[in-house]
Amino acid sequence: MAPPKAETRDDYKYFLNLQTRWMDNDLYGHVNNVTYYSYFDTVVNYFLIEKGGLDIHKASIIGVVVESHCNFSRSVAYPDMIECGLRVGHLGNSSVRYEVGIFKSGETIASAAGHFVHVFVDRESNTPVAIPKEIRDAMSGIVAEAKS
Amino acid sequence: MSNYLAWRVEDFAFQTDIPTRWGDNDMLGHLNNVVYNRMIETIVVRFTMNPLKINWYTDPSYPVVVESLCRFHRSLSFPETVTACLRAGRIGSTSVTYEIGLFGEGNVMPAATGHFIHVFIDRDTQKSITIPDDIRSRIEAHGNIAV
Repeated sequence: MAPPKAETRDDYKYFLNLQTRWMDNDLYGHVNNVTYYSYFDTVVNYFLIEKGGLDIHKASIIGVVVESHCNFSRSVAYPDMIECGLRVGHLGNSSVRYEVGIFKSGETIASAAGHFVHVFVDRESNTPVAIPKEIRDAMSGIVAEAKS
Repeated sequence: MSNYLAWRVEDFAFQTDIPTRWGDNDMLGHLNNVVYNRMIETIVVRFTMNPLKINWYTDPSYPVVVESLCRFHRSLSFPETVTACLRAGRIGSTSVTYEIGLFGEGNVMPAATGHFIHVFIDRDTQKSITIPDDIRSRIEAHGNIAV
């Protein structure tokens, strides 16, 4: 099994600083694997709110997660501060693939990296809708550069 | 590409029921995505304890997760009880890939499918090691069921 390519800070376009919490550590003394997905959830939604103007209470559209994935390379532990790096890997009509890297504060190599796919649907009908312009513009601003 | 929606409870060698809790639902009224990953972790850990009989506190080696993935096919919601299902997929020298399905109450189609990869490491050196023979044979007994 080939290990995934190491992700570095300059692979990401948007960062959110988070304080890990006591309850994030499991009995091995580091952040539990599932908790990384709550960091993904947090950075993605914060980005949509801050940069895309998403009103999570009243907007006519909602983002539904259709896939999440994470590779775990090294551990993070409370009380570390972490930085969640975010970029967009693919921007479709109604769906978007975010790519997330979790960094210990100040480190250049990601401790964990993965992806998270949203499909935007109408809040009432639950059917896919085009991503609204303000949100799409924000996403366009963090699209990953093609690697040569 | 696999037709994940065709996965059925009977295709899995190990199953466990997991009740949902009020707090598992998020503000959209269904289980938050992170909770699905928690359920995947839960069935894997239950499997390691019995039938694999791994003692997480004292065994000289134990597994760590290096990768996990979840595909969300339909929503789950409190208060339904979820049937989590596991089978061993690829079994390598030091790692094993578990294939997972989560089924909502009364549903034959999976609400979620995914995988979870464990690498066995030595407790002292923290380096990967070959899966112990007794554990490997118990994993192999829970591989893909011929449909």
